[in-house]
Amino acid sequence: MSIALHLALIALLLALAFWTVVARETFAAVAGFVSYGLLLTLAWVALSAVDVALTEAAIGAGLTGALLIGATSRLRKTEAAARAERPGRATRVLAAIVATAVAAAIAACVLLLPDPGPSLAPEVAQNLASTGVGNPITAVLMSFRAMDTMLEAIVLLFGLIGIWSLASDRYWGGRPGLAPVVEPNGILAYLARVLPPIGLVVGIYILWVGADYPGGKFQGGTVLAAMWLLLLMSGLHDAPAVSQRWVRLALVAGPAVFILVGVLGVFVAGAFLGYPEGLAKPLIIVIEVALLPSLAVTLTLLLMGPPQRSESSP
Amino acid sequence: MTSFLLAMTFFVVVMVAVGLFCVLRGASNADRMMAVQLFGTGGIAALLLAGVANGTEGVVEVVLTLSVLAAFAAVAFVKADESGAKDDDRPEQGP
Repeated sequence: MSIALHLALIALLLALAFWTVVARETFAAVAGFVSYGLLLTLAWVALSAVDVALTEAAIGAGLTGALLIGATSRLRKTEAAARAERPGRATRVLAAIVATAVAAAIAACVLLLPDPGPSLAPEVAQNLASTGVGNPITAVLMSFRAMDTMLEAIVLLFGLIGIWSLASDRYWGGRPGLAPVVEPNGILAYLARVLPPIGLVVGIYILWVGADYPGGKFQGGTVLAAMWLLLLMSGLHDAPAVSQRWVRLALVAGPAVFILVGVLGVFVAGAFLGYPEGLAKPLIIVIEVALLPSLAVTLTLLLMGPPQRSESSP
Repeated sequence: MTSFLLAMTFFVVVMVAVGLFCVLRGASNADRMMAVQLFGTGGIAALLLAGVANGTEGVVEVVLTLSVLAAFAAVAFVKADESGAKDDDRPEQGP
């Protein structure tokens, strides 16, 4: 039965991927892509990679979907023009050949992997106890490869600066998104009152449970960001001006704590991001807790886009 | 019991997929959004079934995340539609 399920998942994944690529309408492709993310979550769970599934559920199916839907509505005006402009046969054939070659190269790489593949998993399992955390993924992300995680958190900030720099001069430092329209008795306002308390608990739970089970700050932060975005979209709460000091502080606090702990490691443990003996787990928790609000604010503002209104406008 | 749960998972996935393909092929954007929502609901059910059947730890966390975020795409869709309509009303601003 398990094989039938796996085969069905593979067939569906391929069909949805094909649909997403060939769909001519932007929204149809986005609908396909969001469903593809959901299906991929299912596939990762079937492969027992629950941590990856959790990230896919949070980022792939959740935030990316909302981001792409927003992009679709912005592209609507130019979509007719883009569709009328059909590239010539030669261009299309060339594009197909290049895309197929890339796909074939990736497939060849996967198929030619030695069996069993090169793996550091035994070393991770051996040294897991030294980090104090029970989830090997968290141990790799926060201890053995902490540098990558730190750069990941910082690169999000760069992304946000890139988005902000798209603002026009007169709105620089202003509020992102359109002015809120409140319908106090609307279904959206109702959802925005009921869901965020539950979402807050789930987000913090996902962070906390990450030490020993699948979870962590990125996934928890995504849930928190989604809850704040829900409040912003319902109009119950207006987006802050991006020049406000508390916004800037919230954005840099998490990465700053991460870097501070890293520098501390130079003096105490003899290496950047080294944790002193016995203090690994408390320090990992400090970093995770500090990063959670920063990531939530960063992801929210990433989705809100560049400032579109002046700071004082209602 | 395990094979029954897996069979149910298979059933849910196939049923939702059939619905998805019917709607994706030719329908309005709102219908497509509903299909994605249906897929989200079915996906959550399938995840729980498969997770329990295989005894995978931590599936509940994935399901919690998915269910909190499931309504989010629909909200984004409605708001994007509204703001898109507003943009259409606005007179084109020349460069």
